Amino acid sequence: MLSIDLYYDWDAFHAHYQTSLAPGMTTLLGASGEGKSTLLHLLGGFLQGRGSVSFQGQALEHLLPYERPISTLFQSDNLFPQLTVWQNVAVGIAPSLSLQAEQKAKVSWALKQTQLSDKADQYPQALSGGQAQRVAIARVLVREKPILLLDEPFSALDPALREEMLALVNDVTERFGMTTLLVSHMPSEAVFVGGKVMLIEKGKIMANEEASVLSGGRIPEAFSHYLRMTIAS
Amino acid sequence: MPGKGYHLATWFRLTPALLGLLVFVLVGAASLAALLRFSQFESWSGYLHNIYLWRVVRFSLWQALLSSVLSLLIAVPVASCLTHRQFKGRGVLLQLFAVSMVVPTIVAILGIVVVYGHSGWLHALFGVETPLYGLLGILLAHVFFNMPLAVRLLLQSYGLVPSGQWRLASQLGFSRWTAFRLIEWSYIKKALPGAFVLIFMLCFSSFSVVLSLGGGPKSSTLEVAIYQALRFDFDLNKASFLSLLQVSICSLVALMVYRFAPANQQDVSLLDARLYPLKDSILALFGDCLAMALAVFLVIPPFLAIFDPIFSVTFYQTLMADATWQAVWVSLKIAIPAALLSLFLGGCFGVLARMTMDRGRLAFLSSKIEQLGSMILMVPGLVLATGLFLWLRSIGLSSLSGYWVVVWVNAVMALPFVLRALMPVLYQQEKRFRNLYTSLGIHGANRLVIEWPLIRKSVSQAFGYAVLLSLGDMGVIALFGSQGLVSLPLYLFQLIGSYRLQEGSCIAVILICLCLLLFYLSVRFIGGKTHVKY
Repeated sequence: MLSIDLYYDWDAFHAHYQTSLAPGMTTLLGASGEGKSTLLHLLGGFLQGRGSVSFQGQALEHLLPYERPISTLFQSDNLFPQLTVWQNVAVGIAPSLSLQAEQKAKVSWALKQTQLSDKADQYPQALSGGQAQRVAIARVLVREKPILLLDEPFSALDPALREEMLALVNDVTERFGMTTLLVSHMPSEAVFVGGKVMLIEKGKIMANEEASVLSGGRIPEAFSHYLRMTIAS
Repeated sequence: MPGKGYHLATWFRLTPALLGLLVFVLVGAASLAALLRFSQFESWSGYLHNIYLWRVVRFSLWQALLSSVLSLLIAVPVASCLTHRQFKGRGVLLQLFAVSMVVPTIVAILGIVVVYGHSGWLHALFGVETPLYGLLGILLAHVFFNMPLAVRLLLQSYGLVPSGQWRLASQLGFSRWTAFRLIEWSYIKKALPGAFVLIFMLCFSSFSVVLSLGGGPKSSTLEVAIYQALRFDFDLNKASFLSLLQVSICSLVALMVYRFAPANQQDVSLLDARLYPLKDSILALFGDCLAMALAVFLVIPPFLAIFDPIFSVTFYQTLMADATWQAVWVSLKIAIPAALLSLFLGGCFGVLARMTMDRGRLAFLSSKIEQLGSMILMVPGLVLATGLFLWLRSIGLSSLSGYWVVVWVNAVMALPFVLRALMPVLYQQEKRFRNLYTSLGIHGANRLVIEWPLIRKSVSQAFGYAVLLSLGDMGVIALFGSQGLVSLPLYLFQLIGSYRLQEGSCIAVILICLCLLLFYLSVRFIGGKTHVKY
């Protein structure tokens, strides 16, 4: 269980995030500027907020980014352009890049899981957008961190590819029992991956429901306003 | 938009700028021709077998190599530390680094002599006797000037590292060493060849440092040999041979290094520049402390040393002396006209470069014009000055030539820096408003009036740099300085030479104050105090 009770202030923006997440997929919906990414940056330790956050009883708020049990897929800059695909995955196990045989096997396994075995020696520049994000997912696999944060990492991909990626993330989450938080501004993505869905407005979590409610007949009031806005724009 | 729309009239309006460029080229060519007239090429082969000459060449290369490698070796860990650690005094240190690059060479030399010389601080405090005069002194001075320069160049390439990479490194738990190996190195290594060439050239053609601290013919450089050939032997033939050698070696080194340099490519990141914490360790902290201590130890004492004798009687006697204020007057008389001339030339180059920018078949000219202005960096100022002197004499203008030669050569030598300050903003204005200007029929000086609020900051900076360089110049004035023409740097050089350090310190302080004052006035009055948003 990931319990969150975090405050963050920046100029006129006052956020207070309070919720707990069970293992499985949770989609964070909200318009841009409402504080979705801020929450992920707070969880990752990239922004300093107040309050507490704990995972299975362990407090995380005082830990540095690399000490937290978290992997993140950012919107961009997930790969080091100066490292090969294989190295980009391997830094997830050992930043020094000196790996033992079983660790090397693990990298190969992760590349196979993400269908990148034949790209191992290439540099990120040679990859398509989808392939690049799959490399980042391969690194998530080798890192074995129980929490996965996704900050709209697939927003630049075309719809078919995006669904493919979401399916991959969904699969990984299920197989390894991860607690996955997906930031999105598309309700359809929440419906696609299932699990829970939350709505963020002005730095507050306004609703927390099963994702299926979005496709059901009776949409909760908090979401209906947001959905109308999304469809209108 | 090449061709049709561009009328002859437009080119006609460029006449003043073209004239400026023409004067620059003609004077340069005439100086070179005058110098070559005094050369006997047949005798040049004789120099090739001159043992002393080859020793000078070897020493020039050796000290330049050592100086640049040392500067870079210290600069790399220092830049890494400055990037990753926030500590008290970090900002002050960065500013000191910036100042140490523009402080007049001769002033820093005084500081180094006070710290490391006979009966210097090092001797007084620890009883250490440093053999300052010779290679050691030259290296100390060169590292003092160029290590901060290298740090700044490296920090620029650190600035190119996308924040996303630090963020990722932070989550993946990179140590400082891993971050250096996997991230920083791949950015630094693109900047290193350029930094190396720049520092190598600066040290290779170093003049004041070697003249003051070389301590004899054993450690002389080509630049000093040129000076000696001109000043003491008045051997123009030898001087032109030496300068040709100097230019060829510089070009060769630049060519070689750039051949092996990796191509510079910029990664784009959507994030603001930000740093994220990396895994720290005792070892990393120790390394950082060591690098910073070394840098601080090399850069700070000479600065303080300049002000050491400030409370002595001699200091005030010097302050009151006529010779001091005579030198101030000479310095001003040289620096201000030189800076104005440099700015004028820079303006001519700038106008021509921006007019040819993106103009079809002429487009290649804009970069060529800029390069023409910067070419002076390859030619020793002494050589240019001598050529100009000979030419002026040959056309019967010898009476006033000394002064004007110094002014002109200082102006021309500041030109690359003036262009660097001016060109970006001029190009930007042209890019944004060219079509608007054309459609409204705004030409020539009218554009200057419209753009003035936007460009005055760059103009003030260009002028400021030019003034600083001319005020601090010790090369050309050393050659042409005579009884009536002793500027502050030359006076200081003479004082250091006779080990009158307390008087020297007074002159150094005056020189620094003058630099600060003129730079401030330039920024304040040319730059204006209001910030114009654009």
